[in-house]
Amino acid sequence: MRDVQEDPQVRRTPYTTRHKNRRVKWHNEDHIQRAAWRNRKPLEREVGDNTKDGTPGSWFKITVNSIWENKTWLMNSIQSHCSVPFTPVDFHYVKDWARFFVQDAGPASALRDVSYKICGISIIVDPSAEPYSVQNKLEPEEMEQLKVMQIQGTFKRYDVSQQALDLQTLRFDPDLVDHDIDIILNRRSCMAATLQIIETNFPKLLSLNLCNNKLYQLDGLSDIIQKAPTVKILNLSKNELNSAWEVGKMKGLKLEELWLEGNPLCDTFRDQSTYISAIKEYFPKLLRLDGRELPTPIVVDVDTCYLKPGKESSKGSETLKNLVMQFLQQYYFIYDYGDRQGLLGAYHDEAYFSLSIPFNPEDPSVAVPDLHSHPPTDLRVQLLKHTKHDIVRSLCVLPRTQHEFSSFLVETWLQTERVLCISLNGVFSEVVGKSQSSVRAFTRTFIAIPASNSSLCIVNDQLFVRDATPDETQRAFFMPVPTPTSSSVPTVSQEQQEMVQAFSTQSGMNLEWSQKCLQDNEWNYTRAGQAFTTLKTGGKIPEEAFKQIP
Amino acid sequence: MKASERRECWGLLLMDFKTYVDQACRAAEEFVNIYYETMDKRRRALIRLYLDKATLIWNGNVVTGLEALNNFFEMLPSSEFQVNMLDCQPVHEQATQAQTTVLVVTSGTVKFDGNKQHFFNQTFLLTAQSTPNNTVWKIASDCFRFQDWASS
Repeated sequence: MRDVQEDPQVRRTPYTTRHKNRRVKWHNEDHIQRAAWRNRKPLEREVGDNTKDGTPGSWFKITVNSIWENKTWLMNSIQSHCSVPFTPVDFHYVKDWARFFVQDAGPASALRDVSYKICGISIIVDPSAEPYSVQNKLEPEEMEQLKVMQIQGTFKRYDVSQQALDLQTLRFDPDLVDHDIDIILNRRSCMAATLQIIETNFPKLLSLNLCNNKLYQLDGLSDIIQKAPTVKILNLSKNELNSAWEVGKMKGLKLEELWLEGNPLCDTFRDQSTYISAIKEYFPKLLRLDGRELPTPIVVDVDTCYLKPGKESSKGSETLKNLVMQFLQQYYFIYDYGDRQGLLGAYHDEAYFSLSIPFNPEDPSVAVPDLHSHPPTDLRVQLLKHTKHDIVRSLCVLPRTQHEFSSFLVETWLQTERVLCISLNGVFSEVVGKSQSSVRAFTRTFIAIPASNSSLCIVNDQLFVRDATPDETQRAFFMPVPTPTSSSVPTVSQEQQEMVQAFSTQSGMNLEWSQKCLQDNEWNYTRAGQAFTTLKTGGKIPEEAFKQIP
Repeated sequence: MKASERRECWGLLLMDFKTYVDQACRAAEEFVNIYYETMDKRRRALIRLYLDKATLIWNGNVVTGLEALNNFFEMLPSSEFQVNMLDCQPVHEQATQAQTTVLVVTSGTVKFDGNKQHFFNQTFLLTAQSTPNNTVWKIASDCFRFQDWASS
């Protein structure tokens, strides 16, 4: 449509042609912009002149402020509400604000309208110069060459046994330098190309080393959360990251090990523990930071809420926190290891206690009274205990337990001078039958009043117990999830191989898990089948057992 | 507490402990059903279930007073609640300044629009406000938390 073979005279005198018809003007702009593209010079002057009438080619800066953290959902929501389709360019975060660029006034003003359509967001539209990535866009041939070189170079840097990719000091990689390829990971295009290679070739990447690449921002890298979400080890040491907030952009990754030393951000913290807690806020499951093992997380969350207006002193809440934790520690110590009769002292004479369990008619391990012979009122009264003696008697009848204190989440959600309301969530293991133990998840709510010896006296106690999910079990007790690895597989006979194949087809589990199940049941096919069905109904088989490994 | 005082507490005659507990818990169950249905389908009406000075702690965020609650619920995306467990107990009056109060604990799953499904736990303190014609229950205190161990 656009005639590239423009009259040279027209091209050289852009200003005079402005007064002629519009189509010619567009040709000129187009030329000048494309010329600028090649020379990599932004043409602010031209853009500045055109933004008001929104001629094609002009850019707009879109700033979105929203309460929603989920970037994918946010962008999808905006796209669906926007009457004109648009392509966001250079999406990045500036503090809490999301920013991207769009081309042309049509999408820009449609976006302005979206602001009123979605709850919890505001969209500001401003004219702007060409976004950075457009200015520095690589030519298609360069991109291709870059990709080829990168792929070759990257494969050399990939360690299969560790599923680790080492991209440190990438710019000075001898291969790349020899071929005059400049991979500056700070450039969005380079980072995007690198991530593309990772997504295509190493989708299950575990470890990524980006040490010494002069990175000062991580907007581009944050796409790795979608492209290689399996990354658990990340090395960003010796870069130019200025603030922890930059690292926070990687929040979606479930990191276990992180290296940040040698970045300016490390010096912004008062002391080691502030640094560690700031980083842990973004990566709660982090186990090692800068090569140091982090202390086992004790998740304790104590919120206080004052009914009467008063000064909230930090001293006060520390005392409260200590009081609550001490009380709980004592309570559970007796509950788990001592004679539960000892809990009489913790309860008020007229206290209430009730226990709830989810009712599953198929699960024989959960004892539930026969609902048909007991009308509801009687049942409720039966399961609700009143007076401390009745309560403690019931508690003594419950199975022996072992509570994982470090897994507790404690919340004090109401506090007045008369009463304290505490909620806990956590897991415990319970001895069921002769030597079996089950892991249960529980929620307990205590309502307590102050007692004479500056302790607490329980007036209401509500306990809810259900089976723990495999993830909860693993997380709380730090048990590794059993994953069959190829190195531990003993030789399997032909007949056994056929059994594995058949089992896999019937159960839907992949070959590795099928083999493990059969091995665990001594290659008794029927028994393995029964075991599988029981576990499956109990929801105890993790999803990955069913994933087909290519 | 004397049996006679207990009866007065409820403003009804000839009630014994069993009925007392039963009444409180029935009211609580009914209330909870209304609560989640209102939350899912008529979000704007939800604050009518709260006392003026009620406080909500939502995943650690404190929201106090009707205006703040109103803004909060408006901002929260649309929800789909599935309650799997419900339990209630009358709260001992030593803790409640003689206001009839019931503790309600619920658990289940919820999906907020645009986010994935979560397990949740919720604890309410409901107080009864008696008028000559009926008893109106309102939420004095509400604590809501996702119980998600598997995700971060």
